[in-house]
Amino acid sequence: MKNLLQTLHFRVSEKKILILCFCLMYISVGFTAEISDGRIVEDITVSGVVTDEDGEGIPGVTILIEGQGTGTVTNIDGSYKISVPEDAQLTFSYVGFVSQTVAIGNQSEINITLVMDTASLDEVVVIGYGTARKRDLTGAVSSVTATKLENENPNSIQDVLRGNIAGLNVGLSTSAKGGGSLEVRGRTSLNAGSSPLIVLDGAIYYGQLADINPNDIESIDVLKDASSAAVFGAKAANGVVLVNTKKGKLGKAQIKINSNWGLATMAKNEPIYGPQGFLSWREDVMESINAGGFEPYRFSNPNTLPDNIPLDTWLNYDGSDGDPETVWMQRLNMQPLEIANYKARESVNWYNMMFQNGLRQDHTVSLSGRNEDFQYYWSMGYLDNEGLIVGDKFTTIRSRFNIEGNVNDWLTVGMNTQFADRDESQIPVNWGDMVNLSPWGEPFLEDGVSLRFRPNEEVSGGRHPYYTPSFTDRLQKETTINATIFAAIELPFGIKFRTNFTPRYEFYERYNHEMAAHQDFENMGGRASRRQRKVYFWQVDNILSWNKNFNNKHNFDVTLLANAEKFQSWDNSMTNVGFEPHDRLGYHNIGAGINPIISSNDEYHTADALMGRVIYTLSDKYITTFSVRRDGYSAFGQSNPRATFTSAAFAWIFTDEDFVNIPWLDFGKLRASWGVNGNRDIGRYAALSDLQTGKYFYQRPSGELYFVSQLYVNTMQNSNLRWEKTTSTNIGLDFSLFNSILDGSIEVYDMSTTDLLVERSLPDILGFNFVYDNLGEVRNQGLEVSLNSEVLKTSNLTWRANLNFQMNRNKIISLYGDLDENGEELDDIGNRWFIDHPIDAIWDYKTNGIWQTPEADQASDYGVRPGDFKIEDVNEDGLYSNADRQFLGFREPRSRWSLRNEFKVWKNFDVSFMMYAYLGHMGTFNQKKNRQGFLDRSNSYILPYWTEENPNNEWARLYSSEGGAGGFNVYQSRSFVRLENISIAYTVPRTLVESAKIENLRFYMNVRNVGFYATDFNFWDPESAGPTPRIFTLGIDLTL
Amino acid sequence: MKINIKKSTFYLGLLATGLIISTTSCDESWLEPKPLSFYAPENTFNSSSGLWSALVACERNMRHEYTGDGSPILTEHIFTEVAVEGTTDKSGPAQDMNLLITPDANLNSTNYNRIGWYWYEGFKGIKYANTVISRIDDPTDYESEAERNHILGTAYFHRALRYYRLTNQFGDVPLILEEILEPRLDFYSTTREVILRKMKEDLEWAEPWVPEVMDRGQVPKGAVQHLLTKVNLALGEFDDAIASSSRLIDGGTHALMTDRFGSTGNDPERNLIWDLHRPENKSASVNTEAILMVMDRVDTEGNSGGMSSMRQAVPFWITNINTPNGNRGTIDQPGIEIDLVSKYGRGIGRLRGTWYHQSMIWDDENDLRHAPGNWMDMTDMVYNNPALKGSDEYYGEPLQFRNEEGTVLVVDTIRSWFSWPHYKLFIPDPQNIRPSGGHSDWYIFRLAETYLLRAEAYVWKRDLANAANDLNAVRTRAGAAPYGPEKMNIGTILDERARELYYEEPRKTELTRMAFIFANTGIEAYNGKTYSMDNFSENNFLFDRIMSVTDFYNKGVSTRHGDTYTYSPYHVLWPIPAPAINSNTKGIINQNKGYSGYENNVPPLTTIEENISE
Repeated sequence: MKNLLQTLHFRVSEKKILILCFCLMYISVGFTAEISDGRIVEDITVSGVVTDEDGEGIPGVTILIEGQGTGTVTNIDGSYKISVPEDAQLTFSYVGFVSQTVAIGNQSEINITLVMDTASLDEVVVIGYGTARKRDLTGAVSSVTATKLENENPNSIQDVLRGNIAGLNVGLSTSAKGGGSLEVRGRTSLNAGSSPLIVLDGAIYYGQLADINPNDIESIDVLKDASSAAVFGAKAANGVVLVNTKKGKLGKAQIKINSNWGLATMAKNEPIYGPQGFLSWREDVMESINAGGFEPYRFSNPNTLPDNIPLDTWLNYDGSDGDPETVWMQRLNMQPLEIANYKARESVNWYNMMFQNGLRQDHTVSLSGRNEDFQYYWSMGYLDNEGLIVGDKFTTIRSRFNIEGNVNDWLTVGMNTQFADRDESQIPVNWGDMVNLSPWGEPFLEDGVSLRFRPNEEVSGGRHPYYTPSFTDRLQKETTINATIFAAIELPFGIKFRTNFTPRYEFYERYNHEMAAHQDFENMGGRASRRQRKVYFWQVDNILSWNKNFNNKHNFDVTLLANAEKFQSWDNSMTNVGFEPHDRLGYHNIGAGINPIISSNDEYHTADALMGRVIYTLSDKYITTFSVRRDGYSAFGQSNPRATFTSAAFAWIFTDEDFVNIPWLDFGKLRASWGVNGNRDIGRYAALSDLQTGKYFYQRPSGELYFVSQLYVNTMQNSNLRWEKTTSTNIGLDFSLFNSILDGSIEVYDMSTTDLLVERSLPDILGFNFVYDNLGEVRNQGLEVSLNSEVLKTSNLTWRANLNFQMNRNKIISLYGDLDENGEELDDIGNRWFIDHPIDAIWDYKTNGIWQTPEADQASDYGVRPGDFKIEDVNEDGLYSNADRQFLGFREPRSRWSLRNEFKVWKNFDVSFMMYAYLGHMGTFNQKKNRQGFLDRSNSYILPYWTEENPNNEWARLYSSEGGAGGFNVYQSRSFVRLENISIAYTVPRTLVESAKIENLRFYMNVRNVGFYATDFNFWDPESAGPTPRIFTLGIDLTL
Repeated sequence: MKINIKKSTFYLGLLATGLIISTTSCDESWLEPKPLSFYAPENTFNSSSGLWSALVACERNMRHEYTGDGSPILTEHIFTEVAVEGTTDKSGPAQDMNLLITPDANLNSTNYNRIGWYWYEGFKGIKYANTVISRIDDPTDYESEAERNHILGTAYFHRALRYYRLTNQFGDVPLILEEILEPRLDFYSTTREVILRKMKEDLEWAEPWVPEVMDRGQVPKGAVQHLLTKVNLALGEFDDAIASSSRLIDGGTHALMTDRFGSTGNDPERNLIWDLHRPENKSASVNTEAILMVMDRVDTEGNSGGMSSMRQAVPFWITNINTPNGNRGTIDQPGIEIDLVSKYGRGIGRLRGTWYHQSMIWDDENDLRHAPGNWMDMTDMVYNNPALKGSDEYYGEPLQFRNEEGTVLVVDTIRSWFSWPHYKLFIPDPQNIRPSGGHSDWYIFRLAETYLLRAEAYVWKRDLANAANDLNAVRTRAGAAPYGPEKMNIGTILDERARELYYEEPRKTELTRMAFIFANTGIEAYNGKTYSMDNFSENNFLFDRIMSVTDFYNKGVSTRHGDTYTYSPYHVLWPIPAPAINSNTKGIINQNKGYSGYENNVPPLTTIEENISE
């Protein structure tokens, strides 16, 4: 089969294939049209009730007439009525239950009991350019059904995925917008992008995840191994996330309203010194700054001097004879305003001004339905979030329109369109300035209303955090439209043809006005800018598929794809300053300034692909998949525009073998896969050398100034740049035990990335720091375990638990192939990449506690003094160089765990909680150096510090010295476990709402980021290292 | 539901369109990369205008040395006898040189030092120039052979300027003479002398082709001659230095400014020295003293972030100074009754002039460069804190260093109390209410320095009468009395340079150049010592000079943060930044003696040919 594909693709020209498809299509149009008429149908009526194992009716069960694609759904009490041909078979299916197919025969009443599908093996999984039963998968695919998470009110796709898929790492974002980064199975690349490919309803999606309303999502599938991702070839090396949106369900039109309101609150405070604490801290600061020596009690409160130091002596230290308190404050470098405020005992609590309880609301209304020939799903959503930081907010309006119609029995057409409008005009207050501001500062000018630019009246002592937001006027919006328009044709011999056209528009605008009333812009006469960008992107997928079963034994599923894409963007910006007569029109009249600067940046790329895949199933037990894909991309357009990626996989359902008869093992499948994928995620123009330009000016002897442009080569070109390739092997075991009480899967993988797209360090004397090149090899090996269990099941309580575990080990195998005199390959010290060490290895100086007072002499050998960090001098030469750097640990977690528990209590209550843990990694924690910013002009977080009287071995003295190891880092374990989510939902019993024609009514509440436990890192949050919200939500879900 | 046939035809049409689009997609031209908004070298550097633009990059690059916070020129000063790093409240700034100036240390940061900037930007300038040199025969649209040679000569000038600096900052460095298009990691250092000899050859070729008058911002012939003079001196070829500088001095295009001129020329309160350093006068065509400028203007596209000269080199006078009554004396509020900050800027004392610079060199009270109004002493300022008004009789009175009992009233005497050349550092800064030094053109080469270079050449030649003539031309123009020939030695030359060229000259480069001359020639220095290249990093003129006149490195002075000022003889050459050595995996760039990594050195290259790849 592989050979056949190769013949098809590489002997016959690509063009011919497409023309062939094109002709075939027209032939088949005529052909199928003829046989579609003249069918004789004799219908009978069948009715019945569909119940669950407890005898409770299940509403909304889909009942399909086999082979016809039409059917009905059960109503609110689970009953149905359908008119069917006599010899038909009916299939009953419902999410979460095992589907059943029943031959009607002569029955007119068929009552069905659906069994809960705990193993979910019959679940259909999207696998890229097609679907497959989970049972038939040969690769490592994990899925999450978004509709099952409704009680948790996921705010973004990242929320849906976080902790729910073994092998997918989801970053944390603390902003009002939310979100976070995605990474499948560890880092394979050194410099190219490492986020997975997103595929939305079958078409590759390059838009923002924030534009997809989580309420519209039916399910998400993640393709983790090379074989399953290989159909996406060149873009799939980082895995693939397939997002599938909702479609209409058979039955009457349904309106679903989901509304919720929430509050983002501070999960953990990190206090700064209050007015009194500030003074004693500042005293210690001044003593430490003057470590060179100072008179006794020089910086102490004069009211607390010991008897042996008369006030006069104390005053005389600097010739002072005024008010001792003022003298003291001046010695603490406090400004006149601070001193005045101290005397008036008027202090400011900056901390409380930075953070708020952010109100959040999210409403989605959808209308959906489906009958025999037409299905539709239309939603409108409005989300309005305030962040934890004052001024942080995010609003978006999103709409989705999915329709699909069967024009006749061989042609189906449809469209999935997504519209989103994001408002990101927010200007959060600069909360980080709170540590720069004195509690004795003055927030307002004399008028008591206008903000004071520098509340300490100290130029380097921090600005009013509200100042810049209050003098900035910004409009930043992006409107996107992403659609997939498709037509599917059934051709003879079981061949299907589908074409997708996916256009995408982005309209971005950012208008910004920094007012002349702002001190920074006052002398410029204000500054305004306008930037607009339009993106037009399209892609076309032509998919030919063929599914044929021979003798109920051999099943072939063949998919062929031809794809092309084009990206274009147009980006204009203009800036102006010095508005006359005033700048009150802001960016609305940009021409009123005196120094206009305009610029533009347009970009362009093209790509194409051909792909073939065959899935062959023998006796429903042995399944193999082969695929090959050839990709082209203009970024590699000079010498290596195209590359080919192949894969193969095999699965064996060994429990279906006669010789396997293990009573407790319900199901077992072994999988093995191998494949090659590519990564093209570098800049569109990374292979080219570009000329950087900029203005300069000369002056003629007449005194006239005129402009000239400079040009220099900014990046070194590499016309031989090619794709990064990841070859991976995956072995998996899927199992279900003890009558489906426990099921799960185990995956072991080994991925090797070669031809890495690297920014290779160059000697800087070339005038370039790096060149993009394809070099080296990185290896990732890992293990993933996913377990689901129905721990308990009684009539009043069901308890399901899900545990995910993953670990990944990463290693650089080779870099540039340069050898040293011993034949060992050389490291890239500039990039801190080392052969046989992970990419995330920390190679740095090792801190070894704090120099203590008795060690003063040793400390001075290193140019430091007691209270400063002791740094290991490995080669004991008294200096710090690379010879003293060591491998200290890893930046990425060594293992990740997540545990979800779901309870159903008294049928109407759903309770769940989810926790996750990241273990074994380290991060910098330079607060321990106690030398952030200008301590004699700022405030500080309340953190320990070393003093002679109160020494410790972990925290340096205030304003510590770094000695000869300038810029060294203090590392600390970042391991933690977080209780991510608790949610409770109550579904109003159907009997109570039935009379109001309400199909379903549910109330829910949940708390996200309930709390964490960190072993070492307790500064703000161990994951974000900054203010992190805890979010409370209350919601209602109503279906009519 | 039925969908009528028209609709389905529409979709079929769509389908067909999709097919056609993807069919066309298989042409090879489909994947051609299309850079839309940036220029590519091959289609831009094949015209004369493209090469002129490449030269603009060289010119603009010269400006970065003088602009922004912690500008590189400060590092050129703190390694000499005129100034030290004055940021006294933390560790990190280059005070304890023995501890902090190492190949692995942070060598390019406003908070540490900018040695790495000179290394990196120096080689960037060489790259820009080499682009022009390698592609000089690509354009076919030259107006004449003269235009080609003018462009080539200018590129030679820029490359020579960078190598002149690098060889006197770092000693032996890699010599790159062509544009490099492929990754190269096999560099070796070439001896300083071989590099300088090649630069001399290039400059001599360039001199006839570069016109005498160019627009300000561009390179005129005088700049080539001035640089050639420095290279000649560096090579110890004093006769050639005298000849090249004489061609410039006597060329007729340039002359020292001896009469009042420019925007302030009629202001009786001011004087010639003030006129000479006003931003608006520097590039004026009437200013014949200016040879080579970098251009910077307020509110002009392509300008810098500003000079920041007042922030860097004015004392941190705004705090830490009490009145004799113990009240806070000074404040940087703009718009108050006695508004000092708008006049003098908000200094942070990062560049702290030494006693040598503040006092020892000023031996003539008529010297305009040290005259009140031009030169500022702390006692020229007054207590201006408005809170003193009515409560402290010292309000409005001159600042005092001590009270009557002799107690020092200044908390940080290093950072907050020293004198400075106001006429040079004062650059109006209308965009800042607390000025830090705004936009101004800056002298790169000025004829006053050419005189001092020729004076120096005469000193090396022991022609003291001519040396005195040249030095006195600069001195007397500033109103000071001339020196007799008997006073002429390298020390007098250095003193005069300190008086005339503070915040202008790359003083460390020049001092090291002189140290090399002493070591190469064995000429006896004014201190009675002779030097040799054999132990250059242990015993050299630069170190002895600094230790003999400064009062920091030689006296164990500590900052209030407790860091001691130290300096060693091997600092005569800066360390080669370790990343350059580490990333050059297939060759060896030599480290200078005294720094870790020196043990890996191999003998440097001694011919030009070895540097040219095939």
